[in-house]
Amino acid sequence: MSKKRKEVVKSIEDAVSLIKDGQTVAIGGFGADNHPMAMVREIIRKGKKNLTIVASATAGLEIDLLIGAGVVKKLIAPYVGQEMYCPIGHNYRKYAESGQIELRETSEYMLYAGLFAAASGQEFFAWRGGVGTSIPELNPDLVEFMDPIGKTKKIIAVPPLRPDWAIVHVGWSDVYGNGQHLGARFGDRWLARAANRIMTQTERVVPNSVIRKNPFMTTIAYADVVVEAPYGGHPYAAHGFYKEDVEFIQDYVKSSDANRKGDSKTWDEYLKRHIQEHYAYLDTVGIKKLLSLYTHPIVSW
Amino acid sequence: MSDYSWKEMMAVVFSREIEDTDKVTSGAHTEIFFAATMLAQKTHAPNLKLQLGGSVTLCQVTDIEVSELPKTSTGYELIRYAESVHDHPDTFLFYGAPGGKDYYKEGSEYRDVNHFWFADKFFVGGIQVDKWGNTNMIGLGTKEKMTFRGPGTIGINDIAVGVRDTYAFITAHDKRRLVEKVDFISHPGKKICRENEFYGGGPKWIVTPKCIFDFDPDTLEARLYMTFPGVTVDDVKANTGFAVKTAKKVETVEPPTKAELEALRGEVDKTGVLRH
Repeated sequence: MSKKRKEVVKSIEDAVSLIKDGQTVAIGGFGADNHPMAMVREIIRKGKKNLTIVASATAGLEIDLLIGAGVVKKLIAPYVGQEMYCPIGHNYRKYAESGQIELRETSEYMLYAGLFAAASGQEFFAWRGGVGTSIPELNPDLVEFMDPIGKTKKIIAVPPLRPDWAIVHVGWSDVYGNGQHLGARFGDRWLARAANRIMTQTERVVPNSVIRKNPFMTTIAYADVVVEAPYGGHPYAAHGFYKEDVEFIQDYVKSSDANRKGDSKTWDEYLKRHIQEHYAYLDTVGIKKLLSLYTHPIVSW
Repeated sequence: MSDYSWKEMMAVVFSREIEDTDKVTSGAHTEIFFAATMLAQKTHAPNLKLQLGGSVTLCQVTDIEVSELPKTSTGYELIRYAESVHDHPDTFLFYGAPGGKDYYKEGSEYRDVNHFWFADKFFVGGIQVDKWGNTNMIGLGTKEKMTFRGPGTIGINDIAVGVRDTYAFITAHDKRRLVEKVDFISHPGKKICRENEFYGGGPKWIVTPKCIFDFDPDTLEARLYMTFPGVTVDDVKANTGFAVKTAKKVETVEPPTKAELEALRGEVDKTGVLRH
């Protein structure tokens, strides 16, 4: 065979240059875990504009960071915050309350329903949860209709949601784009299924033989682009590798709170300190801090 | 001055409410309910099927040590308490009750099925709650101008259709939060649930740091059901933004017993997350 298989590993700069201003980008992970933070920081560093962001079903402050950095035009997210660390994202509040971002009110299942509709090539997915709430009134994409079978109940039609890109974090991947989560997968497989193109950020690129050893574990098959970024989930946890950096998250909460209250200097300094080339960022965090976050793998091989 | 916090009181109240055959889910930012449900497994409900957090993480802590109360609903630590974890979208494939609408009838033959479904009980937060039990996580203001952007509905609207009983809770009791009418509805109260023929009954209680409201079975309006120790009916009336109707006799919630507090602090919340 003279023709070789296509390898899809790219540098983080080359990968992010594929994302065009104005595109729709889904960001994987959930809560304080498995967010592709190196990619998020690079998107900001490259000054991307007018993105429509599709958040995970329970987004963390990675979305708040994108908002505060001015790259978001429209947001589709059931939640932006960090639970006990920060019940509501500060930049999310600032930008939503001043009308600087456009919101599509949604919920966990409505988000998935849109992704399912796109992934399965349907015109809509139907869902009852949300009937009797303010969501249909706040989100013009949703359409209520009468159950055509029982004829008494209202149902909501959720149209397809098809991101240009899904960016998800995986534990490891081979050079052909076969990625495996080494812990919870959250909604990552569905963000990826619905998207036109998939980028994975991986802790490690591993030999194809590692993937073949347990193909049952492959969650993202044949991503379009793979970016290797060790500790690329920091300050959030990456299942199988490290836990969240509470101190860093608290620092973020403080700086973004200052921004919401009008202290943009503190916020600009925060961005300057953290929005760096990935390895320069890791230097800022420091080797001692990074190693202190270690958790031993739960998924056994 | 009591020697327990209101969060501990709330955790104990909800723990008492949980039955051994229950299937219960606790979502994001609900450390009180993590504690309540883990406490129930440790004390009287070892068969409680418990989903904590965002990945259909089915936790069973009856026989294992809980080193600290989880701070997030997604963390790696949580998985150590789990016996199974699924993709998060699978959650929505667990929404149909065994037996369909028959499940919701008193004494249903399906109540004690062993498998997990979502759920007999679920805890619903809000930045506002009104006399109908409608809760609001969306924001304050109007559609045109939101003066306060709330966290978002997460998935609490999704669960209204099928969960047998929800429990609305707010973390401070005042006229700004307990209102005549919420600005937006993220989880509908009993009246809207009934009008839309949901199988689920909507909120069974509204719980605040001061008291518990239940609902008049005829009008479906909230009424003061019990107060927490040290709280008077007048205190509740003075701090509530709607006219407080009362049940026949408003009783006082029994304070946490020594055994309950010992189990809560010694086996579930060792680091005292709920004490502050």
